[in-house]
Amino acid sequence: MALVHKFLSSAYIFRKCLKPSVSSCPFLGNRFADYCSSSLQKPVAAPGKTSSQRNTEGDLQGHHQREVALDITSPEEKPEVSFDKAIKDEIKNHCRRLKDDIVNYCIGPEGRPLHEVLLEQAKVVWQFRGKEDLDKWMVTSDKTIGGRSEVFLKMGKNNQSALLYGTLSSEAPKDGESGHSGYCAMISRIPRGPFERKRSYDWSQFNTLYLRVRGDGRPWMVNIRQDTDIIQRKDQMYSYFMFTRGGPYWQEVKIPFSKFFFSNQGRIRDAQYQLLLDKISSVGFTLADKVDGPFFLEIDFIGVFADPAHTEEFAYENSPELNPRLFK
Amino acid sequence: MKPPILTIIMLTVISGTMIVMTTSHWLMVWIGFEMNLLAIIPILMKKYNPRAMEAATKYFLTQATASMLLMMGIIINLLHSGQWTVSKDLNPMASIMMTTALAVKLGLAPFHFWVPEVTQGISLSSGLILLTWQKIAPLSILYQISPTINPNLLLAMAIMSVMIGGWGGLNQTQLRKIMAYSSIAHMGWMTAIMMYSPTMMILNLTIYIIMTLTTFMLLMYNSTTTTLSLSQTWNKTPLITSLILLLMMSLGGLPPLSGFIPKWMIIQELTKNEMIMMPTLLAMTALLNLYFYMRLTYTTALTMFPSNNCMKMKWRFKCTKKMIFLPPLIVMSTMLLPLTPMLSVLD
Repeated sequence: MALVHKFLSSAYIFRKCLKPSVSSCPFLGNRFADYCSSSLQKPVAAPGKTSSQRNTEGDLQGHHQREVALDITSPEEKPEVSFDKAIKDEIKNHCRRLKDDIVNYCIGPEGRPLHEVLLEQAKVVWQFRGKEDLDKWMVTSDKTIGGRSEVFLKMGKNNQSALLYGTLSSEAPKDGESGHSGYCAMISRIPRGPFERKRSYDWSQFNTLYLRVRGDGRPWMVNIRQDTDIIQRKDQMYSYFMFTRGGPYWQEVKIPFSKFFFSNQGRIRDAQYQLLLDKISSVGFTLADKVDGPFFLEIDFIGVFADPAHTEEFAYENSPELNPRLFK
Repeated sequence: MKPPILTIIMLTVISGTMIVMTTSHWLMVWIGFEMNLLAIIPILMKKYNPRAMEAATKYFLTQATASMLLMMGIIINLLHSGQWTVSKDLNPMASIMMTTALAVKLGLAPFHFWVPEVTQGISLSSGLILLTWQKIAPLSILYQISPTINPNLLLAMAIMSVMIGGWGGLNQTQLRKIMAYSSIAHMGWMTAIMMYSPTMMILNLTIYIIMTLTTFMLLMYNSTTTTLSLSQTWNKTPLITSLILLLMMSLGGLPPLSGFIPKWMIIQELTKNEMIMMPTLLAMTALLNLYFYMRLTYTTALTMFPSNNCMKMKWRFKCTKKMIFLPPLIVMSTMLLPLTPMLSVLD
């Protein structure tokens, strides 16, 4: 993998600077799209850089700010080009994470004592208090398939929230095969351990998803994906709707996990299955309401909690006529 | 699943294992394993959801790989010996391949990665069959070829299994994964003694099956799959809660319970064969297993975890699940130690 990267870039940019975009490589053409675009398109108002423009907060609904691609570096800073040093740093970083992992394993599950984990009734999983919190998310839109929607993610006012904003366009790409378009999404990155080992969240002692958001009145869809090793299951997810009110007040959305319905490859399936909470991989928000125009969603935090009043296990039932094999 | 279909499938599983145990032809051994594998797949997918399908797929892939390795070993043995008979004279290369294949089937380290994943993805009743009945066929073949197995390979796998079974189960809150790591550790104990006394391996297997059956039946009775839900069983079935206490200590190998018998016998047998480090290591790593069993006991029976006021007093309601074999299994899981002198008939 490192050799391929070296071949593509011919000079490895030091980690603190940005990696060149793979999609710009002529050898690969359009194969790789900028899925992980959030870290490249996040607005950074660094005071030292003359090439960047200051972002103004202003009106959240109508004011589109010019974003600066972060791969343009200031002439004063020359990136240190050293492939071997970068590889060594990467290995040291992973070894340090492995050591932390082993120490956390000795403490208990998730690096905390067992009684803390068992007695926990509420947990904040993601909160947005700094730029490093934005790195745990990625944004994507139909631009990857040739659409015209745009989506950006940045820190909100006083670094107390994250602001997901952009423009939705349902104009279908003119590629001769796409009939529909118009979606923007924000998806959490899969948690990784040392040596990029995939991890998952265990939310089996909670039963409700809790979101503190402030929207513009648009309907969003909350998607949850489970951890899987099988390729076909990567298209499976569990979704539910989140209707934002708009207006200046924060909205607390509680969605029980029993309400999430199952879909595969974007289509809701007749056979519905309960969302199992022991291996959650990622959570995402999707906007695809076919209404062209700007949008925004401000998120304070995302958490989970155990609602003792909610006893429902699964909100949907399967029909023997539609799915006889489930009843064999 | 409809009863006639379930009956046919279960009969196929049973007959597959019986074929493996009773045959003396290597091809029939392989056929028995394949029958067993193909029949267990619908049982693993009894509760039809994407997770169970993933677990069944992982199980099928690993077991098919193991069967392929086993067949390779059988062919190599055929090339060298010219006969298909299951005998104690195996070509060394064939022996290594077969041992590796059977280790994959059993879930011995370093081929253990599928066990927690598959066990976690299936229902409790399927997990019960996976961790008990499915061990019988591979162990019977290991028993038959035990004189020709490479001792270094087997001992290395045994030690790794016991250590990984102990360390892996430490931070688990999912009960099925805990039972999976317990299974890995117990398989380690069985393979450690296999070369010196295969009879002790059978004893260990028998007592392990009884204890695991009992544990799974208790979990099915309470419908619990996590440590937190097990900690609330005092509210549902107070008597079962106290029995879980005894059962966990028996699984951990504490005297005077049944689980102590195999550990005692194995350590005694190993020391008779002038091995000191091996039983010391096994006994010390067994403490790791005991630690997480005691942690389950602590949360379940020794302390009352906080619950909220709206929790109903479920013990007032009679449980409708019929577990007719539970009482004798509980007795056998905890009170067999006084029968240990009868083991002299095995000599």
